[in-house]
Amino acid sequence: MQTLHVNNYDMAYLDIGRGSPLVCVHGSLCDFRIWSVLLGPLARRHRVIALSLRHFFPAYWDGVGDTYSIAQHVDDVIGFIERLDGGPVDLMGHSRGGHIAFRVAGRRPDLLRKLILAEPGGELDGSLDPDYKPGPSPLAARFAASAEKIAAGDIDGGLEYFMDALEGPGAWRRLPVTSKQQLRDNAMTLIGQVRDRRPPFSKADTDAIRNPTLFIGGANTKGLLPKVLRTLAAHVAGSEIAMIPNTTHPMFEQAPQKYCEIVLDFLARPSSTFGVPPGET
Amino acid sequence: MQTLRVNGYDIAYLEVGHGPPLVCVHGTLGDFRTWSAVMGPLSKTRRVIAPSLRHFFPEHWNGVGDDYLMSQHVDDTIGFIAQIDPGPVDLMGHSRGGHIAFRVAQQRPDLLRKLVLLEPGGDLDASLSPTAETSPLASLAGRTAITARKIAAGDIDGALQNFFDGIDGDGAWARLPAAAQQQLRDNIFTLVGQVDEKRAPYSKADAQAIRTPTLFIGGAASKGSLPALLPILAAEVPGARTAMIAGAGHWMFDQAPQAFCDIVLEFLAA
Repeated sequence: MQTLHVNNYDMAYLDIGRGSPLVCVHGSLCDFRIWSVLLGPLARRHRVIALSLRHFFPAYWDGVGDTYSIAQHVDDVIGFIERLDGGPVDLMGHSRGGHIAFRVAGRRPDLLRKLILAEPGGELDGSLDPDYKPGPSPLAARFAASAEKIAAGDIDGGLEYFMDALEGPGAWRRLPVTSKQQLRDNAMTLIGQVRDRRPPFSKADTDAIRNPTLFIGGANTKGLLPKVLRTLAAHVAGSEIAMIPNTTHPMFEQAPQKYCEIVLDFLARPSSTFGVPPGET
Repeated sequence: MQTLRVNGYDIAYLEVGHGPPLVCVHGTLGDFRTWSAVMGPLSKTRRVIAPSLRHFFPEHWNGVGDDYLMSQHVDDTIGFIAQIDPGPVDLMGHSRGGHIAFRVAQQRPDLLRKLVLLEPGGDLDASLSPTAETSPLASLAGRTAITARKIAAGDIDGALQNFFDGIDGDGAWARLPAAAQQQLRDNIFTLVGQVDEKRAPYSKADAQAIRTPTLFIGGAASKGSLPALLPILAAEVPGARTAMIAGAGHWMFDQAPQAFCDIVLEFLAA
């Protein structure tokens, strides 16, 4: 694969199409392949760059060390965009990759043109959520148990425990076989993920986002993700929301054509008119 | 993407892993992404190289031109493999890509170490088929022509349904996940080229000329004419082995990636 050397790590990436660059950041247990389904429509108008974060496939990580964290991955994505050296890029992240993209935008708006967050993962602190209770996520214990199973060699058992905790009983069993295999290829990253203490989103964080931002959600997604999406969107100045009917968290795999239409329309609009209230243009 | 210049065309390919090279040739409507589900297990011990054949995604072909031909794709694959260092390589092909791999093995055994054919596509000539009328793929060729007419009329999804159901049975297209459907859609115009691709039928002499150690893999639940072809060819290729994957259809590596990779890796290591 093609790689860029960033922070002493060779980041593998897929680079397809011509046009303004769109960098895509995958979520938990995924890698550059998660964007396969969108490459066709998106690469007709953009140079699509789908990277694999540190320790994800095509690497096979042993789970040892403290280099799997949101902080490290944010540093890596910033370094990656700098090394691309093609001017500001559009940045799209899904789930945990949406969290990373949000943090990149908070720190380095100068590197970005537009920002797309597809159900970004994370928690809300007291400044964004009156119901906020400090402490570990209620799912933390189950995630830790998943990682222990994986560390002990029970890959499928650990992944089933993780997916079912996240999306309800039977979630792992219902997954397409091809999706399961991609999660298996990245199972060891869960060991790093349960150790990571990522800070929750705050009002100061959302106030710092300066890039035109689009949030995309699956209309049928359950749990915390839709609440986080709506709350962040309510606080990021001028941001937009697109909910895709009849889809859940992997919304772009479930409705690839609709998803690409939304993304391409958002990216094609002139930035200058973005977020300006009607009547002021 | 990475590309190799072959016969005046930049062949895009994905390369993952380290070890002896394993070149994977996709079938009809596929491209380098066809192999996503098996990329992980295979690349742990192999350097997996998945090209996209001429006119397949990432190119967005318009169907115009006369170089979508079986012979062109065979020449391209030979030219591609010849540039891989160190050779010889292991070669795996699925469906139409299995046909290509078979022809490469016929023409250039010196470039190959082992050959893996996954329900290779094609027709049988009189030396392999007792009655010409029962030739396995006659019905598929007819379907391709109907499919191409639907594409020309702008009915892309109708065309795909017609073609796909012809291979994996009625309702197969509708059952396919949206993600898999989209990848086939990205390559729709290659079907226009395929109508007149000039694919010669297999003969007994062709099969008996294969000198490369060969493994055939089929899906035990595969429907239509493709599974009928496999044992006939396998019986004539000297020393060929056959593995059938229980519960899987024509896309057996997507449907049972772990079992598939176990079989391939064991064959390549033996």
